[in-house]
Amino acid sequence: MPEEPKLAEELKKMEYEPLLPVEKKLIGWSIGIGLGLLAILVWISYIFFPGGH
Amino acid sequence: MEEKRKGISEDWLSLWLGLVIFILSLGVFAGVDILGWGTKTSTWTDLSKTLAPVSKHFETVKGEITKIDGQKVTIKKADGKEDTLTIKDTAGLKVGDKYEKKGISGIASLLFTYLFMLVVMGIGAVALRIDIKKFIIGFTIVFGVAYICWILGHYGYIAATDPKKAGIAWSLKLTGEAGYILALIVGLVVSNFMPGLSNILKEATRPELYIKTAIVIMGAALGVKAAGALGLASAIMFRGLCAIVEAYLIYWALVYFVARKYFKFSKEWAAPLASGISICGVSAAIATGAAIRARPVVPIMVSSLVVVFAVIELVILPFVAQVFLTKEPLVAGAWMGLAVKTDGGAVASGAVTDSLIRAKALTTEGINYAEGWITMTATTVKIFIDIFIGIWAFVLAYIWCTKIERKPGERIGAGEIWNRFPKFVIGYAATFAILLLICWPASKAIGILEEQINPLKQEISAAEKKLPTADPAARAALNEKINAAKDKIKGLEAQIKEPRKTISNANLATEESNIFRQLFFVLTFFTIGVVSNFKKLWEEGIGKLAAVYILCLFGFIIWIGLIISWIFFHGVKPPIITG
Repeated sequence: MPEEPKLAEELKKMEYEPLLPVEKKLIGWSIGIGLGLLAILVWISYIFFPGGH
Repeated sequence: MEEKRKGISEDWLSLWLGLVIFILSLGVFAGVDILGWGTKTSTWTDLSKTLAPVSKHFETVKGEITKIDGQKVTIKKADGKEDTLTIKDTAGLKVGDKYEKKGISGIASLLFTYLFMLVVMGIGAVALRIDIKKFIIGFTIVFGVAYICWILGHYGYIAATDPKKAGIAWSLKLTGEAGYILALIVGLVVSNFMPGLSNILKEATRPELYIKTAIVIMGAALGVKAAGALGLASAIMFRGLCAIVEAYLIYWALVYFVARKYFKFSKEWAAPLASGISICGVSAAIATGAAIRARPVVPIMVSSLVVVFAVIELVILPFVAQVFLTKEPLVAGAWMGLAVKTDGGAVASGAVTDSLIRAKALTTEGINYAEGWITMTATTVKIFIDIFIGIWAFVLAYIWCTKIERKPGERIGAGEIWNRFPKFVIGYAATFAILLLICWPASKAIGILEEQINPLKQEISAAEKKLPTADPAARAALNEKINAAKDKIKGLEAQIKEPRKTISNANLATEESNIFRQLFFVLTFFTIGVVSNFKKLWEEGIGKLAAVYILCLFGFIIWIGLIISWIFFHGVKPPIITG
């Protein structure tokens, strides 16, 4: 049976990969949509699902 | 070589196990009390009194008859407490007689509970195609140790919320849920200091199976609660959904950025790590790992880290919430759901927070919040997280395939969403919806008539206060008014006799299934401890991975989770029990 790989060894093997523009885009869009939606969702929940406010 | 046949997944199994217990609990609606022998553990100072069957039908009741009203007979027991029984033939009974109804002892009910669980879980083990002999041995020890912890957690000096009532001078007021923490600690001791025992328990050490089964069962109780407060329940659900949409979008991107930019992790490591830390631990790490085609070792390593840190959060966060969020109980519940990264850890934290905050609110502010709403909030948030794992994994798979690691001809089907969909959620939704549909019309009918009954009760109470000082003529008028109001109440009560019976049956059914829900919770806590081997992780070289985990989790995940929970849940309070 093959030996279980050790975490430390696996991490050592890891090669540096610079952050690609597409990844930056993914991060930016994700946070941007998150913040944009925050306002809309807060508005909807306060108006349509008051639950004590 | 013949390939070993693969059994059912834990996900599907938890759905079926939960549904079996749920369906058996519904027997009370047909007049058959199938699970009433399940053992209930109460806060104790005398150990012999802690265990009893959950249903009165199975309880031994002995005492003096103080009242007979049709088939309802009130018995005054030796401890001075009264109990009302329904007896079919009351012809030979009269007030003052001694009466005894034979039932089963607490120990017998515990034994039945163990045997039932062993059979049900044994069938599950067969379905999982695991070594049944090893499972039976492991499960018996897991059950035994976990239940001892559960009983010890109910010791009066630890659990009693009102020490005077329990006949003791002081108490830690942790409620019986302290048994969960105790089970977790014992599990950690087993994992880190008793590797031999930990190995024996291996086949029965299945925290995800136990917690998912518990969640399926819990749906029913939450359905009953929701029927009584539909507006609040729908608000919790919608706000829970909003909270996790926010958490996914903000958490994941931030953790991925920190892991890639500052810790120089490769994409293969950073994506499962971001999902594991930011979303839902184990399942998210595995789903993301698969979505981006990472080697299996990556999500496995991340998962073990997630489990260990969930334990740390589970031990700390509920107590932090008790200190700072007593005035915002549902913020605390949502926070547990967002911050604690395993299903077991999150729902368990919700349950502990539920007990701690309710106990504190009762003792410091005299507010008696209804039980279960904080747990419901944590569970709702967690379940939405689980549902969205499939969608998120699909989105990541699509982005990885089409933008990041473009491979010609590779396509992602929408079927991937179903593959990643947590199936136990179907069970939770089903038990929730069934009880909601059964109870909602009844709750509505009761609510409408109670609006008429309550003013009449107030009228009676006001008239009764005036009676002692009234002259004879006024007294006669007041008595007439009181009797008229009482007659009206009787008439109205008669109209809601059936709805009340429905709610009473629903309460009994969920009380009985809840026994098993709690049991699965205790098993979860103990086995979470058993799988959390800090020593092994340390030996494997946890350093860099743990560093990014600690930085992200304690640096912003917990706090953003708190802010999101606050935004969506502040001011939303659980129902308050009055009277």
